[in-house]
Amino acid sequence: MMKRVNSFALLCVCLLAGFVPSVLSQTSQATPPPPAAPRSVTFPKPAERVLPNGLRVIVVPRSNTPLASALLLVKNGGEVDPPELAGLADMTANLLTKGTSTRSATQIAEEVESLGGALDSGARWDASTANVGVMAAKIGPAMAILADVVRQPTFAADEVERLRQQYIDNLTLALGQPGSVARFVAGRVVFGDSPYGHPISGTAESLARISRDDIAKMHAKFYRPDNAILVIGGDITAVNGFALATRYFGDWKKPTTALLPVSAAMTSEPMKTGRVVVIDKPDAGQAAVYLARVGIDRKDADYFRGIVTNSVLSGYSGRLNQEIRIKRGLSYGAASTLETRRDVGPFIATAQTKNESGAQVADLLMGEISRLATAPPADAELTPRKAVLIGNFSRNLETVNGLVTQIGTLALYGLSLDEINRYITNVQAITTGDVQKFADAKLDAKTSNIIIVGNAKAFLTALQKQFPNVEVIPITELDLNTALLRKKQQP
Amino acid sequence: MLTIRLMRPFLFACLFLMAPIFLAAQTKMPQLTFKDRTLPNGARVLSAVDRSSPTVAIQVWYHVGSKDDPQSRSGFAHLFEHIMFKSTKNMKSEMMDRLTEDVGGFNNAFTADDVTVYYEVVPSNYLETLIWAEADRLSGLNVDDPNFKSERDVVKEEYRQGVLAPPYGMFEYLLQQKSFKEHPYKRPGIGSIEDLDAATLKDVQEFHTTYYRPDNATFVIVGDFDQQQLDAWVDKYLVPIAKPNRPLPRVQTKEPARTAEARLTEYGKNDLPAVGLTYLIPRQADADSDALRIADALLSSGESSRLYHALVYDQQLAAEVNSSADLREDVSLFVLTAVLSEGKKAEDAQKSLLAEIKKLQDTPVSAAELEKAKNQLITDQLRQRETSNGKALALGEAAVLLGDAARVNTDLSRLQAVTAADVQRVMKKYFSDANRLVLYYLPEASKTGSAAKPVAQKEEN
Repeated sequence: MMKRVNSFALLCVCLLAGFVPSVLSQTSQATPPPPAAPRSVTFPKPAERVLPNGLRVIVVPRSNTPLASALLLVKNGGEVDPPELAGLADMTANLLTKGTSTRSATQIAEEVESLGGALDSGARWDASTANVGVMAAKIGPAMAILADVVRQPTFAADEVERLRQQYIDNLTLALGQPGSVARFVAGRVVFGDSPYGHPISGTAESLARISRDDIAKMHAKFYRPDNAILVIGGDITAVNGFALATRYFGDWKKPTTALLPVSAAMTSEPMKTGRVVVIDKPDAGQAAVYLARVGIDRKDADYFRGIVTNSVLSGYSGRLNQEIRIKRGLSYGAASTLETRRDVGPFIATAQTKNESGAQVADLLMGEISRLATAPPADAELTPRKAVLIGNFSRNLETVNGLVTQIGTLALYGLSLDEINRYITNVQAITTGDVQKFADAKLDAKTSNIIIVGNAKAFLTALQKQFPNVEVIPITELDLNTALLRKKQQP
Repeated sequence: MLTIRLMRPFLFACLFLMAPIFLAAQTKMPQLTFKDRTLPNGARVLSAVDRSSPTVAIQVWYHVGSKDDPQSRSGFAHLFEHIMFKSTKNMKSEMMDRLTEDVGGFNNAFTADDVTVYYEVVPSNYLETLIWAEADRLSGLNVDDPNFKSERDVVKEEYRQGVLAPPYGMFEYLLQQKSFKEHPYKRPGIGSIEDLDAATLKDVQEFHTTYYRPDNATFVIVGDFDQQQLDAWVDKYLVPIAKPNRPLPRVQTKEPARTAEARLTEYGKNDLPAVGLTYLIPRQADADSDALRIADALLSSGESSRLYHALVYDQQLAAEVNSSADLREDVSLFVLTAVLSEGKKAEDAQKSLLAEIKKLQDTPVSAAELEKAKNQLITDQLRQRETSNGKALALGEAAVLLGDAARVNTDLSRLQAVTAADVQRVMKKYFSDANRLVLYYLPEASKTGSAAKPVAQKEEN
């Protein structure tokens, strides 16, 4: 497959080249030399086909480094966990590499690592994934192992117990960090008891409940070729990629039962908004401050408005870091993410700060969200923030893993793979008015929630002055199984 | 300790442990063809053309690091790194962000024990602008007190975020601090709140004058550019910078050899106990480094590695295990750590770690396992070199820390030459009882009970 010069990308770089940073116009001091004429960008072009068993296969060739990577996506993840069994999809995906009908867990690790590669599996929201990356010369044997673990895992009882203990240990480690506690709590606050609400790797209680039988059923139900996508990228031709896909996945049988439709409207229950939750962790070395709310789904017509708006807030020179770190030295870094999913995902703005500054940082996060609608970015601010997005996007496509992940995500959400070629123009088209509209409609401060995990004594009084409705929950009483977040009182 | 200006998961391991490379049978490691130029003022410029994307990476390696922190100013070299993004001779605060981030590029910097490295990746048509900018901040700083103090607060938050907030942040901090007796490596690069508070604007100017000079700088430029054009920009912006005729101070302190096992117990807010072992090993440029890197991969690279398989998988003693050949310009450390599983004892993890070391000392590794470690190292290296910035890091490291830029292309053959007997030899040579420090990091809550003490090796056998 030939690479081709992408005309849209070329256009973008031209637009950027025309942009002269505002500092260049200073005259009091020596000024930097201006940029030269830009050069063009090439993105690899994916080829795809659907195998007779329904497996969608995409190959993205790029030959500048002798590396290759294969990613198998199953189109469901943590959102299909039954309410009592949080962590089931993630444990199921993780157990894939812990033994098959032909290889033990030890043999799988041994074989993959002997190829110099890494085989990872796990669940995220909307997908369960297994991927392997190796030197290009080893992609064949690596895909043989990938197919084995996806298709024929055994879920041996001792492996289930081993992994359960690891999940419990990891949860203990996570609950010792203010940042990860805040992330868990934010999920519950934003999504309540709906399918995106629970910690994706489970809670102490749900992990104890998950049985081998639950895991085997989850695998049988969702891991099927007509519910999966295989992306192969790197130093490999499309012809060879399709041949490997057919060889290792061609005889993966499609079950006779119909594929269940993906459930829609996961956030249909009305969410309680405007919550202010403090998790009191008296020994916290720093406070984690989160502003969390619902955002948009991946197919939302506002997607590009949303990511540009987020870029105005986030990144090193984004408004949050400008106000919290650069101007005030209150944090090592403040940032936000607009995480788009199959259904509406979260928007989260965060910073960690000394316990004493917890309330001030909460106020600053709220203030910056409100200011988007009242003081939207003029072109001088907006143009650089769009350049940041475009630069990150282009650099991400420079690595084989980045390329495969981006293509996999487009395929997962049923978007045209050609969107990588339209990304830059779509970002360029966003105006000040678009950002203002998006902030107005989708990021209202009043319906946002605040979560602070830290030593409450240091910031609670100040926080209560700003927000009369603060809920304070000692970390020892935190219950992540419910949107109430508090363990039931013992009678 | 490696600290960086921006929040990025950029660990020590990703940068320095990837140095080994090995050519597997069917894979050609792309060679880096570079130009090596030393200017009359002593500045060194390494450049390599790579037109695979229309971007360019610019790095400046200053040969000054945390080990050069002034007396009672631990953390200063790192604080200084942050200050380099404030006002310089011709740039106002954060202008480096305007020249990089605002045009779709990025910048960052990190401070290690031996070096401070500043780097930018930009669309290639901005290369001249960035050479101008790096020349400018090498020529002089112009920072005011409010900017200095606010950035110092940022660094204090970085300390809280990296050391105080994570349950094992203080464990890693203590492990470095306790591992050296004399050498300034004993001062963790992030410093302490007290020493950061003591730093002044005057210290900043003095540090710049002392260490930020052309004969202490190596420029590394990799990416999409024309060599002749670059040479002309170097002539225009870098050649005129004056070379001071003051001597450049260098750390002279030598770390004494360890003579007896040291055993320490510290307490923290962790829920699960942790154990750390450290051994002094030679400087990075030493011929034994390659075999030690292989030993490191054998011990902890992947789930089939010896420590993971024994402690996490088989014995289910530990939630996490790790090892690292933490290589430095002077005396280095080999570190092994384990965070225990619920209900397990530090003594048992220590015993298992020591048993794995003993196995490598007693029995030569098989050809297949040795080949596996080499394959893992080459794949890591290929990944690092996927981008211009990664290639520049490899080139800078060879030039500044290994003292020979050409080693960017020859580490390969050195690693190929490592045999099972070499691995066994270095395991015996460096992993002696007398060369070991053992640190238990236990939950504060366990202090009241019978306090655990690291077990002496003699009791083990």
